[in-house]
Amino acid sequence: MSELPELTPEMRAAIGQENPPTTFEVTTLGIRTFARAVGYTNPVHFDRDAATAAGYPDLLAPLGYFGHPIFDPNSTVNEPSDPGAREFPRGLNGGTAVEPIEPVYAGDILEASVRIASLEIRQGRLGTMLVRVLETTYTRTSDGVVVGRVRGTRIRY
Amino acid sequence: MGQLTWADVTEGQEISIVEEMPTQRLVIWAAAAPDFAAIHYDEQIARERRLPGVIVHGTLKGMIVGRLLAEWIGDAGRVLRWVVEYRAMDMPRQPITVWARVTRKYEDGDRALIDLDVGVRQTDGVTETTPGTATIELPRE
Repeated sequence: MSELPELTPEMRAAIGQENPPTTFEVTTLGIRTFARAVGYTNPVHFDRDAATAAGYPDLLAPLGYFGHPIFDPNSTVNEPSDPGAREFPRGLNGGTAVEPIEPVYAGDILEASVRIASLEIRQGRLGTMLVRVLETTYTRTSDGVVVGRVRGTRIRY
Repeated sequence: MGQLTWADVTEGQEISIVEEMPTQRLVIWAAAAPDFAAIHYDEQIARERRLPGVIVHGTLKGMIVGRLLAEWIGDAGRVLRWVVEYRAMDMPRQPITVWARVTRKYEDGDRALIDLDVGVRQTDGVTETTPGTATIELPRE
């Protein structure tokens, strides 16, 4: 078996790099749309009266929902770096890990910090693959509390 | 239905739900995620990318696994983490079975915890497209 290629200096430099944080808005519309797509029927995700009767300050975000990024056609794109796009032109979504830490409610404004947690070259079903784990940490802006983390695995091949 | 407790759960116990996957659901998810990758709503583009057709978003399947856990454990339980891998495609219009099986029941200090295997199974009853694991915390009794 041939040896695996090594990470390029560009790839190595990208590991651990953090992007400038971006803002995510947790809205009632966002919560209802997410809950509807995922198939929730619990009224605490849809009906404000039901949510407050259950003791929540507003609609409760379903697990894994951390709001929507603010779309602005006039702002510059803030995509995390994607090293290896030249060497490994095709990509697919490899997996998701979710760590809910604190409940999220409609009205919350979250700050998302993204960094490349790991970048590895591996041999797999698709041949030689570049596996990038992107870790997003969501922090509530009102009090600085971390409400959750999501790790997304992106496979390039 | 009462609150699920740690005492209620046994190793090997399995829970599951069957989920319909109409194309409309993919469109709602695209807006919710948000994920506007065209392979999830445009047949022509999907085929140009050599896919058999529009495919279900991996993240939608992953979040339905989260819902299965959330609905099972109730208000007093907590999902500490769950992880899924997107190993194979699922196509819309094909129902999927989303399942979780208790692999370990244990205590960590004063916390009562459960580890599970989770996944998404196709209608053939065999193909597992989205395997993973989860850890939850439950009230003792």
